[in-house]
Amino acid sequence: MKKLFKAREMTAFLFLVALFLVVGVINPDFLRGGENIAACFNGAIVYILVAVGMAFTILIGEIDVSVGSNLGLVAAVVGTMMQNGESWIKAFLFGLIIGIIVGLINGWGVAVMKIPSLIFTLGTNGVLRGMMFLMVGTKQVTDVPVAFKNLSSKSVVGPLTVFFCCTVVLVAVIQLLMSRTKRGRYFIAVGDNAGGADLVGIPATRTKVLAYVICGILAAVAGILFCSRAGQVTSLSGNGYEMKAVAACVLGGISLSGGLGSVVGAAVGAIIMSSISYLLVFMKLSSYYDNVITGIVLLIIVVLDALMQHRSAVNNRHARLVARTATAGVEKGGGEQ
Amino acid sequence: MKKRSFSLGGLTKGPNFGWNMFLVIVLIAEFIIFGMKNSKFLRVSLLLNASNDFLPICFISIFVTFVMITGGIDIQAGSIVGLTSIVIGILWQELGLNVWVAVVLAVIVAGCCGALSGFFVAYCRVQAMVVTLGGSFLYSGLALLVASLSSTEMYKGLSIESESFRAFTKTKLFGVIPLQIILFLVMLLIAYILLHRSKYGRKIYLVGVNPSAAEYSGVNSRAVIMSTYILSGIAAGITGVFMTSQFSNTALPSHGSTLTMSIITACVLGGTLSTGGKGSVIGTALAAIIIGLVRFGMPLCFNINKQYLDIPIGLLLVVVVVGRAVASNPAVIAKVGKLRKKDAAGAR
Repeated sequence: MKKLFKAREMTAFLFLVALFLVVGVINPDFLRGGENIAACFNGAIVYILVAVGMAFTILIGEIDVSVGSNLGLVAAVVGTMMQNGESWIKAFLFGLIIGIIVGLINGWGVAVMKIPSLIFTLGTNGVLRGMMFLMVGTKQVTDVPVAFKNLSSKSVVGPLTVFFCCTVVLVAVIQLLMSRTKRGRYFIAVGDNAGGADLVGIPATRTKVLAYVICGILAAVAGILFCSRAGQVTSLSGNGYEMKAVAACVLGGISLSGGLGSVVGAAVGAIIMSSISYLLVFMKLSSYYDNVITGIVLLIIVVLDALMQHRSAVNNRHARLVARTATAGVEKGGGEQ
Repeated sequence: MKKRSFSLGGLTKGPNFGWNMFLVIVLIAEFIIFGMKNSKFLRVSLLLNASNDFLPICFISIFVTFVMITGGIDIQAGSIVGLTSIVIGILWQELGLNVWVAVVLAVIVAGCCGALSGFFVAYCRVQAMVVTLGGSFLYSGLALLVASLSSTEMYKGLSIESESFRAFTKTKLFGVIPLQIILFLVMLLIAYILLHRSKYGRKIYLVGVNPSAAEYSGVNSRAVIMSTYILSGIAAGITGVFMTSQFSNTALPSHGSTLTMSIITACVLGGTLSTGGKGSVIGTALAAIIIGLVRFGMPLCFNINKQYLDIPIGLLLVVVVVGRAVASNPAVIAKVGKLRKKDAAGAR
C-alpha cells in the first residue's frame, strides 16, 4: 500500500521534471540560471495552498468547491482593512476567522447534515461570492500597503521568495502530521471507508468537519497571499480557483473517491497546473493554449490511471485464479505452475 | 429511494409529485411577492422578454438531469456553449458557409464533445466529475483557440450578419410569444417523452438506481450513460446557437461560462438526487424557471444589483438541501409520525 502512495506522487513529480526538461530542450533559455524554474515555483504558492486544503476534503471522500470564493472574500476583507489603515495582525486574524467560519459551515452541512458535498459547497460558493460583491462592488481594492506588496517579492534562498519557503515548510509539516501521527491518518481512514472507520472508533464526523475547517483556513491563507501578490482585489478575484485546485489534486494522484493520495502530491500537481501558462511563453505559444493543455493533460492522466487500475484489478484476479488452481492441483497431488 | 418518497407522506402520487407541487407553490409565491411589490412584474410582455435571460439555464439543465439520474454530473455544458457559439462564427466568417449549415455543424460538434466525455465516463470508468472538469478546461480552451484563428479581435466577438439568424430570437408568434419559448416547450416535451414515457427513460433510471442490476437485466448501461452526455452536449449546443443569436448575433467564446452553478442548482432544486436514480424533467424545468424569476424579479422589484443575485440563489440551494436532509432524517420522521397519531387520536 505504502509503495502505491509513493508511486502516485512520483508520477506527478516525474511529470513535472519531464515538463521542465521538454521545455528546456525546445528553448534552452528556460533552464539557464534556474531563475525561471524558481519563478514557476514562486508563482504557484496560492494554488499550492488551495490545492492542499482541497486535498483534505477530497481525501475524506468529499469535495469543497467554495474555496475560490472563500479565497476571494478573505482577500477582499484583508485588503480593505489594510487599505483603511488597520493593523496587519488584526486583518490577518479577521481573514483567518472568516476561513474557519466558512469551514465550519461547510463541515456542518456535509458531515452533520449529510448533504452531498458538491451541492452544499456550491450553495455556499454562491453566498460567499455574493457577499464579496457586496463588499467590493464595482470598485477595486487597490491601495494595499506597499510594504505588504513588497513582501511577496522578497527572496530568501536564492531566487525563492519568503512565501514559497513558508509554503514548503507548511506543506512538509502537514505531510508529516498526516503520515506520522494517529490523528493525521484518520483522514485517509475516513475517506477509505467512513462506516468502517466509525466502527473502529474513529470520530468520522469530527474528522470530516476538521478537514473542512483546515480547507477553509488554507484558503484564507491563500487569500492573504493572493492579496499581497496581486496587490489588488476585484469582485472576480479567486473565481475558478476551485476547479484548478481539484485538477491539481487529481494530477497529484489523489483519487476523487477518497482515501488515496497525499498532500505532497496535491502540491506538486498545483505547481504543474500553474506552471503551464508560464511555460507557454517559453514554447512561444499563445496563452490561448493554456486551458486546452490543462484539459488534455488532466484527461490523459485520469484516463490512463483508470485504465491502469482496471488492468491491475484484472491481473490480480487472474493471479488469484492461477494461485487457486495451483493449490487445487497440489491437493490432487501433482500440479505445477 | 422508496423510503424517501414514503417520508413525504401521501403527497407522492406520481414520480416526484409532492416535490413538484412544492415547486409550483414556490413559483406562485414568487409571483405574489414580486407582483405585490411592483406590478410591472406581472406584465406578460415583460415576463416573456425576460425569459431570454434564463432560458439557457432551462435548456441545459433539463438534459443535465438525465446525466445526474445516471449518477454522473456534467460541469462542462457551460464551456460547450461558448465553443458552439465560436464555431458558428468561424464557419460563417472564415469559411463562408450558410449560417444554418454552420449551426447544424456546430451542434454536431457539441454532441461530439459530449460523446468524448461520455466515452471516458462510461467506457474508461473515470469519475464523471473529473472528466467533465477536464472537459470544461478543454472545450473552453478550444473555444479560445478557435477564436484566435479569426482575424477580428476576440473581445469584440464575431458578428454574424444574417437576418434569418437574428430573426431566430426576435420573431414573436402572434406578436407576443417569442419563438424561443416554443423551442423551450418543444425541448421540454422531447425530454419528457424520452425520460418518462419511453423504454430508454426507464433504462436511465435503472442505471442510476443500480448499474449492476441494469447490466444483468440486459441493459447496455455504458451506452445509456454515454448517450446522456451526448444529449446534454447537444442541449448545450442548441443553447450556444440561441445565445449567439440573442446577443445581437455575436459569437463569443465566453458565452455560457457562468452557467455551471445555475444549471446544477436547477437540477438539485428540481428534486434530482446527485447520487442518481431520482429526478424529473418537470421538476428541473420548474426549478429553472424559479431561479430565472428570482434573477428577473429581484432587480426589478427590490432594486438589487444583478451581481448580488448569487446570494439569494446560493441561499435557496442551501436551504432546500438542508430542509430536505432534515425532512428525511429518521428522528424527525418518527416525531412527525407520532404527532400525526396524536392528532388522529385527538380527533376521535
